[in-house]
Amino acid sequence: MKLAPASIPYRAFQKATSLGITLVFVASIGAGIRLGSPEFLLLVAGILVAAVFYEIAYYKRFEYELTDDTFDLRSGVFSRREREIPYGRIQNVDISRNVLQRLVGLSAVNIETAGGGSTEAVIQYVSEFEGKRLQQDIRRYKRGESAESASVAEQSERRTDEELLFEIAPSELALSGILSFDPRVPGLILAVFTGSIPFVSPIVPVDGPPLVLVVVFAILLAGGVVLAWVVGAISAVINYWGFRLTRSDDELRYERGLLQRYSGTIPFDKIQAMTITDNPLKRRAGYATLAVETAGYAPGQASGRGSEAAVPIASRERVEGLANEIAPSDQPTFKQPPKRIRRRYLARYLIALGVITAVLYGLVVWLEATGTIPWYLLVVAVVLTPIAAHYKWVHRGYCLGENHLFTRNGFWSRETKLVAYYRIQTVIDTRTIFQRRWSVATVIADTAGSLSLLGTDAAAVDIDQQDAERLREELSERLRAALADRRRARSGGFEWLGEDGDQSPTAESADDQIGRPQPDDTDQNRLENEPADECADSEHTDSEHEVDDHQAVDGKTDHESDDQHNTDRDNSPGSTD
Amino acid sequence: MNSLHPRIRIVWILRAIILGIVVGSIGLGLATVLEASPLVAVAVAVLVAVVGVSHAILRYRNWRYVVGEDAIYLERGVLTEIRTEVPLVRIQHVDSRRSAFERLVGLASTVVYTAGSRGADVTIPGLTPENADGLRKRLKQLVIDTDGEDAV
Repeated sequence: MKLAPASIPYRAFQKATSLGITLVFVASIGAGIRLGSPEFLLLVAGILVAAVFYEIAYYKRFEYELTDDTFDLRSGVFSRREREIPYGRIQNVDISRNVLQRLVGLSAVNIETAGGGSTEAVIQYVSEFEGKRLQQDIRRYKRGESAESASVAEQSERRTDEELLFEIAPSELALSGILSFDPRVPGLILAVFTGSIPFVSPIVPVDGPPLVLVVVFAILLAGGVVLAWVVGAISAVINYWGFRLTRSDDELRYERGLLQRYSGTIPFDKIQAMTITDNPLKRRAGYATLAVETAGYAPGQASGRGSEAAVPIASRERVEGLANEIAPSDQPTFKQPPKRIRRRYLARYLIALGVITAVLYGLVVWLEATGTIPWYLLVVAVVLTPIAAHYKWVHRGYCLGENHLFTRNGFWSRETKLVAYYRIQTVIDTRTIFQRRWSVATVIADTAGSLSLLGTDAAAVDIDQQDAERLREELSERLRAALADRRRARSGGFEWLGEDGDQSPTAESADDQIGRPQPDDTDQNRLENEPADECADSEHTDSEHEVDDHQAVDGKTDHESDDQHNTDRDNSPGSTD
Repeated sequence: MNSLHPRIRIVWILRAIILGIVVGSIGLGLATVLEASPLVAVAVAVLVAVVGVSHAILRYRNWRYVVGEDAIYLERGVLTEIRTEVPLVRIQHVDSRRSAFERLVGLASTVVYTAGSRGADVTIPGLTPENADGLRKRLKQLVIDTDGEDAV
């Protein structure tokens, strides 16, 4: 299949514009080119013509195709590239459309797999309809259906069975804007400022009294902060405008953006981890942030946009509800590190405070201002260190859930991570020389998630060494069990459920009637065959109960025994959840 | 639990000594330029070499690995002890490698790659070439058997 014909003029225009800007820039720094001269205009016209011809060739030589088991891409004007991507390896299919593209009805489609440093298939551009069709067809092929098998009626049915998970409320959008601070702006200002010092310095009264200088500096600083905040707020609002998340039976779909519209799909079984972030202020007001990690995005590549399915801010219940929708799990009860570790944090804070005070004292002595600057004031903070150590300890912990490992770290920016056992890549247990003194260890569950490249893997920090040993073995064990379950669920359908219970024939035939795999059902089966849940300690039966009730209402999962489950099914034959 | 081949110590010690020599020559160069006493540079170089050599010896002592039925387990580290468990299902591909130093003492390494972000590649050094090849082949077979269909 070909690109949209409208992509030729659009791409040519895009290319000519960027070339033109470069040219004007070159001319403006005085390379001997006059902007108005006929030679210059001829050059511009030549570039435009060349761009159009190149884009026509690009269009002619760009082809993509959906075969039965791969997505094929043949492209390249001078050097040819032929690429086949197996459907099973596709992580995300993203569509983005900026204002101009929306005007002319074009979409850019990006297909991501876990490998490599860049987007694996960049399709620029197809029509809006074609983009949507690609997204849907890839999804369908992935499930092993052929394109023909789905009738038009079925397609429309599928669109309606999308369930809205999350839609950003105007108040949340405003709040996310208010809380956004673009850290790149001060750096930019600084760069511009240092570059323009020769122009600014005559205005700034450098030889004036120091007070004036300080005031000028403070005003500049405040201006920079305000600007950074305004830019951050505007970009957050533009980015998350109309953010909504929907789920179909096996995928998560997001849509967002005011000027540039992004939409895409994330298959549930490609989700690597989820992170809920909050800080003391958000905790107080009952808000939190959620990020969904996949392995599709290379580091740096998504830097400006961050995780695609990230909820910038929403009330805590909404975020937790959403996380629970995406990955059904119970409320974790965190197991904290041993209490003795608080002494370690205390020592750490005291040492840090001591070092800072010593440096300050050294500075004061060096400046010969011992009498004027109260360097010893910082020592008062010693009173706060035990509290800080305690809170650091309180907010740290891990929990082995039914299907997920939960970890939580940090007081100021508290991150709660949720990693499905079957997503764990390696389990790493580290003990630094200091940790060994306290006989504690850190256990890291490494996943292929892209955020974890920044070193924020799910980690149970400073837990007792024996616990660490146990946790490490438990994690590998659960990984194996979860993988085995998944494999069985995939290959054997529902037969294996009959082995350990009396799976009713009615339920089986009900499944047959639907005629397509039911991911919800397999999830459910897996849930119930998992090893006992360690989070729900005896002390915490209350909350477990709550979760039960909640989920019973949802009709998604119930935590009763297998027999109970089967009776439920017997009572309602043909129910498809 | 397997230890590494004892000859790997030679490789690591050689590396530490070379690092010491490099540091020493840079220090000596600086000392002549700054017209300072060369004694400091020599002392620093010796210190680097001594620390490096003892680190190499301790490192060898702490290195353990075992290739189990469904996971590779490694234990290593001097200041920070690291224990890694790599499930065989997660292995993407396996390399055997021989650096110049390793060839000098007739050793090889096996590198196991996963899709993870932190422990993405795990190196088992200090194997005889036959062992490294054997390990690679064995891992390959195990990985095929365990069906790494959803490695990511």
